[in-house]
Order: sequence, then C-alpha cells, then structure tokens
Amino acid sequence: MGWLPWSSGDSNKASDGGRIAPDRTSRARCWEGRDAFFSCLDRNDILDGIKDDKEARRKCAKEVQEFEAACSQTWVKYFKEKRVMEYNRDKTIERIKKEDADKMKELKTQGWKSS
Amino acid sequence: MPSSKLATGLFSRATRHLSDIGPIRSQNILSSLRITTQSQCRAYTQSQRPRCTQNIQNMLSARSCNQFSTSAFRAKGRTMGQIKQRNSTGPFSWKAALLFILTGAGMVIYFRVEKARLERKRIAEMSKGVGKPKVGGPFVLKDLDGKEFTAEDLKGKYSFVYFGFTHCPDICPDELDKMAEIIEKVKESTKDEKLFLPVFITCDPARDTPEVLRAYLQEFHPGIVGLTGTYEQVKNVCKQYRVYFSTPRDAKPGEDYLVDHSIYFYLMDPDNDFVECIGRQDTPESASKVILEHINDWKREGRPLKTE
Repeated sequence: MGWLPWSSGDSNKASDGGRIAPDRTSRARCWEGRDAFFSCLDRNDILDGIKDDKEARRKCAKEVQEFEAACSQTWVKYFKEKRVMEYNRDKTIERIKKEDADKMKELKTQGWKSS
Repeated sequence: MPSSKLATGLFSRATRHLSDIGPIRSQNILSSLRITTQSQCRAYTQSQRPRCTQNIQNMLSARSCNQFSTSAFRAKGRTMGQIKQRNSTGPFSWKAALLFILTGAGMVIYFRVEKARLERKRIAEMSKGVGKPKVGGPFVLKDLDGKEFTAEDLKGKYSFVYFGFTHCPDICPDELDKMAEIIEKVKESTKDEKLFLPVFITCDPARDTPEVLRAYLQEFHPGIVGLTGTYEQVKNVCKQYRVYFSTPRDAKPGEDYLVDHSIYFYLMDPDNDFVECIGRQDTPESASKVILEHINDWKREGRPLKTE
C-alpha cells in the first residue's frame, strides 16, 4: 500500500536524500480518489471509514482501492479521520446555532409578554 | 522859589515817592506774581494729584475687573505723572502685550498637540511588544542554495512567513496557492518585487531537503523563499513563531508520517516585528488588502525599506 505509482524503487527519493512529496497532479489524483470514495460512503450511509472499514471495503471496493492507490497511507488515514472530525464539527455548529435560535425565540416571546 | 521849591520838592517827592513806590511795587508785583504762580502751580498740582492717584486707582480697579485697557490709560495720560509713567513702561505697549499673549497661546497649543502625538506614537511603539503576541525572533536556517539564512535577512522588507511541509495532504497546498495569489497581488500594487518577501519554513527537515523543497515550491510560486535546517534549528524557529511542532525527532526520510503545524501566515514588518496573522478565513483579496495597508502605512511614515 502507499505510494503505488511512485513507491517502486527509489523514485520518491531526491538525490540529496530527501523524500519527494506528491506534486500537483498526484495530489489532484489523490483528492479525486478521496472524493469518489467519500461520495460512495455517503451513498451507503457510512461515516467513519476506519471504524466501519470492513463494510466500507465491501460496499465501495473499487473506490477504496483507487483512493488508497492514489494517496499515501498517512493521507488516507488523515482524510478518513478528517471526514469524521468535520462531520462532528458541523453537527456541533448546527446544534449550537439551533440552541441559539431557540434561546432567542424564547427571549423574544418573554420580551413580548413583559412589554 | 518856594513854589518852585515846592514844586521840585513835590516833584522830587513825587518822583522819590514814585521811585520809592516803583521798585517796591514792581517788587511787590513780581513777588506777588511769583507767589501767585507758585501758589497757582501748587494749587494746580495739588488739585491734580488726587485725580492722578484716582486715575491709577480707577485703572487698578478696572484691571481687577478684567476690563483692563491700555489705550484708555494712554488717552488719559495728560498729566506729567502719567506721561512719565507711560514712558517708563518702555516697550510694553498693548501691541507687545498682544503679541506676547498670542505667542504664548500658540506655543501652549503647539506643545499640547505635539505631546498628544508623541504619546500616541509611544503607545503604538509599546504595543508592538506588549499588546500583540510576541511572534518571531532570532533563528538560523539554510536557504535552498545551502547558504545560511537568519532572522536578519528578513529585515528591511515585509516578510510573509508560512510553516508547512511538502507531504502536507490538503491544507498547505491550498494555502500555498493562496500565498502565490497574494504575492502577485502585492507585487502588482507595489510595483516592487523586492519589498515583499514570502518565506516557507519546513517543519519536516528530515524529508524536506533543499532539492525537495525547491521542486515543491516551484509549483506554487518561484518567488517563495524555502528554508530548512537541522531538527534543532527548525524546532527553535517554530518555537520563536509559536508554531506547534510535532515532528518526530528520529523520523527516517523514508517513513510515511504527517506533521501537525500551525496554518497561519505571519506578516512581519521591516523591523521583523509581528504585525498580522493571515489565516484560513482570509481570501487572497482580503489578505493582500491587509498587507498593502501595512506597507502603505510604513511608506507614509517615511520609514526605511530595503529594496535592493
């Protein structure tokens, strides 16, 4: 797994010993793979690609293979974690907004009654 | 004879009388005149004297009531005493007094305004280190040609410092694309390529060697100065800039790992003092607007910029 297109041999090594990072095109390819995989997860109502790894692999076999082929292992893990994190973040923001709106409504009705 | 004798006698008497009277009279007249002029004079001055003191009293009372007018005093200066007094005041005429008061008032106003300005400046200077987070400081790194690059090399220009690593999955590339746009916008507005110095400092020196960095940054903007160094040097610069640094110390270049790091751009002024943070929420437009405002402020103050 990992740098499938580049991991063969030392092609990802720079001549001075550094490790060449994916360039713009390979990044774009990785992101495409990620988006395809995540939309597949959305279709199947799977949020966490790590926790529900087996089910995700079963339902989105093609996508997960392409995704993992296009991105390094750490990136795959990072994107999967980020998906969950962003989902929870959005949920929290939504909840807080709703609470705020409810509170405002409550205060307004109280205000109307008192005045 | 007797008649003539009488006559001469009479005459002589008369003349003698006359001659007697004459000098006496003239003496009398003179003396009386002298007396009268003296007495008149005395009477005059005596009669005037109370008026004179009265005038001064009036004047003093008038002055105490804030109705002091030098011209009135001058107009009334008919008596010797007053004329004398006026002359004794020398150059202190009402013109001089007015000039003195106006100059004094002008000086007071000027010093007050100037004092307020200096106070503002002092506070602005003070807040450079106190009010704002102390970001940045001395560091030693290497540029992509292997030359030493220190904090001193950032001075004289507005520098735009970003920390990242080439294996960054998604945020850094986005931010570096934004950086490239900002560089172009600032360059366009200032018409000066050397005034704005974008810097990329890697948090991952094990993998990001000069060659790797050069190839990576070339994709975004050729003007970005890439900096790297030893693990300790990078750790130090991250500390100076308050950047969270989580790179594993014994990371092998071949390993696959991610580095957590801050995702802010730090705008530093030509004194290398921190001025502004540009974050994810900023668009290239808003960011370059902020940067140009700072650059123009600096120019307007006539402060030095290195443009070689």
